[in-house]
Amino acid sequence: MAAAATKNIQLALALPTRLRTFLARYPPASILPAGANAETTKTAYQEEAPNPFMPMKHPVTGRWHDPKYSLRRQAELVKMARDHGVEELLPFTNKGTETRLRKRVELGLRVKGTGVGQRVKGHKHERQLAVKMDKRRNAMLEMPNLIREWKKVGKRDWTKFPK
Amino acid sequence: MAKKAKSRIINVRLLSMAMTGYFYTFTRARTALPMSMIKYDPIIRRRVLFLEQKRKGK
Repeated sequence: MAAAATKNIQLALALPTRLRTFLARYPPASILPAGANAETTKTAYQEEAPNPFMPMKHPVTGRWHDPKYSLRRQAELVKMARDHGVEELLPFTNKGTETRLRKRVELGLRVKGTGVGQRVKGHKHERQLAVKMDKRRNAMLEMPNLIREWKKVGKRDWTKFPK
Repeated sequence: MAKKAKSRIINVRLLSMAMTGYFYTFTRARTALPMSMIKYDPIIRRRVLFLEQKRKGK
């Protein structure tokens, strides 16, 4: 028992200071000393925010408060924890490996607008290209008739000029 | 102040009837009839009818 505890302490000391501080402030139930009740032995930090990675609704005012740790700092902690193999000790975060992988599977290397039911907006001239070409094609199909008519009327009497 | 006299010669724009927006510009006497002619449209690479565009505000 004592040997296992010393080993754990040694392992904990090998962690980077930031990670150690974090785990001291927000210890998960799995590393509490045996027999301690997770409900009653909360640190002051945990009392304030059970999951410091999530936004929280203030119990009194009902206002939403930002997470205690920004997304950037969450990602840094996750990376650090992953490198030391202790990621499961962190509370749930969207920056966690599991969520990240799930998102990657869900979305792939998605280019905006190419998903199901979406479309690429494109430049204005690209959006109007089809209409423009249609207009041109129809005008060209009408061209022999127009020229015939123009020749028949004669350019002296022609009155239909474009705007 | 007296109005400026209108010039006798005007610049006109002959618009391609192939709806490409391509045009030629010519000068003609103001009193002459509107111009129209068959000319080359480089956008569709054909000879098509070009008609004078109506002038605005006149």
